[in-house]
Amino acid sequence: MATVDLNSVFVRYDLKKEVIEKSVSTSKDVLLQAVITAVVDGDEDAIPGAVNAAFAAHDPMDIIKDGLVKGMAEVSRLWDEGVYFLPQTIISSDAMLAGIEICEEKMGKAMDKKGVVITHTAEGDIHDLGQKIVNALLRANGFEVVDLGKDVPVDDVISAVKKYKPVMVTGTALMTTTMTAFKKIASRLTHDHNELPFVCGGGAVSLEYVNSFDTGIWGKDAQQAPGMAEDAVSGKSWSQIREKYNG
Amino acid sequence: MSEMSNRERFLAKMAGQETDRTPVFCADQTATYEQMEHLQAFWPEAHCKAKDMATLASGAYHMLGFDAVRVPFCQTIEAEVLGCTPKHAGREGLPSIDVHPFKIGDPVKPLPDNFLELGRIPELINAVKMLKEEVGDKVAVIGGIIGPYSIAASLVGVIDILKMSFKNPEKLVPYLDLAEQAGTALAQALVEAGADVICIEDMMASMDMISPKIYKTSVAPWETRQIKSISVPVILHICGNLDLIIDDIAETGVTAISVEPKVDAPAAKEKLSKYDRFIPLIGGVDAVTTLYSGSPEQVAQVTVDAINQGYDMIAPGCSIPPGSTLENLKAMVIGAQRQKAD
Repeated sequence: MATVDLNSVFVRYDLKKEVIEKSVSTSKDVLLQAVITAVVDGDEDAIPGAVNAAFAAHDPMDIIKDGLVKGMAEVSRLWDEGVYFLPQTIISSDAMLAGIEICEEKMGKAMDKKGVVITHTAEGDIHDLGQKIVNALLRANGFEVVDLGKDVPVDDVISAVKKYKPVMVTGTALMTTTMTAFKKIASRLTHDHNELPFVCGGGAVSLEYVNSFDTGIWGKDAQQAPGMAEDAVSGKSWSQIREKYNG
Repeated sequence: MSEMSNRERFLAKMAGQETDRTPVFCADQTATYEQMEHLQAFWPEAHCKAKDMATLASGAYHMLGFDAVRVPFCQTIEAEVLGCTPKHAGREGLPSIDVHPFKIGDPVKPLPDNFLELGRIPELINAVKMLKEEVGDKVAVIGGIIGPYSIAASLVGVIDILKMSFKNPEKLVPYLDLAEQAGTALAQALVEAGADVICIEDMMASMDMISPKIYKTSVAPWETRQIKSISVPVILHICGNLDLIIDDIAETGVTAISVEPKVDAPAAKEKLSKYDRFIPLIGGVDAVTTLYSGSPEQVAQVTVDAINQGYDMIAPGCSIPPGSTLENLKAMVIGAQRQKAD
């Protein structure tokens, strides 16, 4: 069994001491642990070496699940506890995505996708960081993400829905001046009799606002996205998903 | 005490003096669709033309009863002049930055000598002059500039600046230098045009974006340099929860701090009370849940509570959502009057 000295990781990040004393989810497998560490560390350069080494004992799917995604879960935990800030999570998610790409190449085909999710950041809003995290978590959990990017006009969201037939749509907004686009998107979709769950989140977006229009589900944080998408795939309606998460 | 004019009230509180009631204003954009209709000054013209900009901004005094008026409405004026391509958003929205001109590592030219004559800057300067002439004796005039880190983010892209702030902040120095010089030059011009106060919006320096360590390394030194160069009182507005950096912000030398309600106001006040100057805490009303989605009564009550909690000046915690109702906006002033009467 390998012991990995996470202290060195935390020292480098200038982190608070109490975190080190908390239990950190790790793998007993030295190869997978190296993958986890590279993700937690946000060390994209270390990812190819760690992932390729892990192929000696693990199939690519397991490396994704027990290495890359597990590392990102650790990053999410550090984020939740206020230890990691956004730059670290972006760098970690880059590392995770680089690793997933290597695993997918090894498998010879992309992972079977559970369904399509369209993500976007509201028109006028250049803060697409929350969306990036949502994308990474959805992909890591086996969804195909159609990433419309930031500053997306309402019309583009509507035509993407027609084209890709997603199970769910997400919108993020960090600016108070941009979030009103979400209500327009929801009403355009329901007008077309398309009652897709429309998950909205981000700094400017409140539960009250999102629940004020049909199909709107408020996303508290990026981590909820994969669970909501699973529910949508399993046939739950927007109102059932809203009830579950927004109670 | 006898009733003060809006301007007297605002400037007295900024200077730490007694006021007849708590001042009310917004450190960020103030325009709403109802004001546009009433004043017949609309976006996008009000982003580009001095007359429309000043007319729409004056609504904060004429229609809302705020103690300060403020221009501009958008956050792209300096960045556009420095080479960013803005994307215009028509009548309903604010321009955003579409194309970031630099990749980190690209060389940076010095600030052009004619910087103040470029792009929409002359219009902004004129708008301040017009506001000063038309309402400047009754209400405080705030000139808005964008903070160094936020302009730098427009220059190189948000994700790239965040990553580099973490990995190798030294590489950001040329962009931060240019951004600071641009904002400072604009601030000085706005002061000469008649601005009583400068508000620096450094929205990218939010803890939703960066860490306290990055604030210390890549934000505070440039904000400090900028604030030192401005000859009038300076408000610094940063979004998000600032509990971890209130002291760092105070140490920039800023006059007053504008925050979102996410901030622990009593704790912030206690920290600020340790400085030998009075540092007003501005904010208290959530721009979305209260101002946009709430009722006038809720807005008034939140205002009363915020004053009792320690806020020295009442303002939305962020830009006013342009769909907010006049009744809700006016309820902030009503709340401040009611709190005084209680």
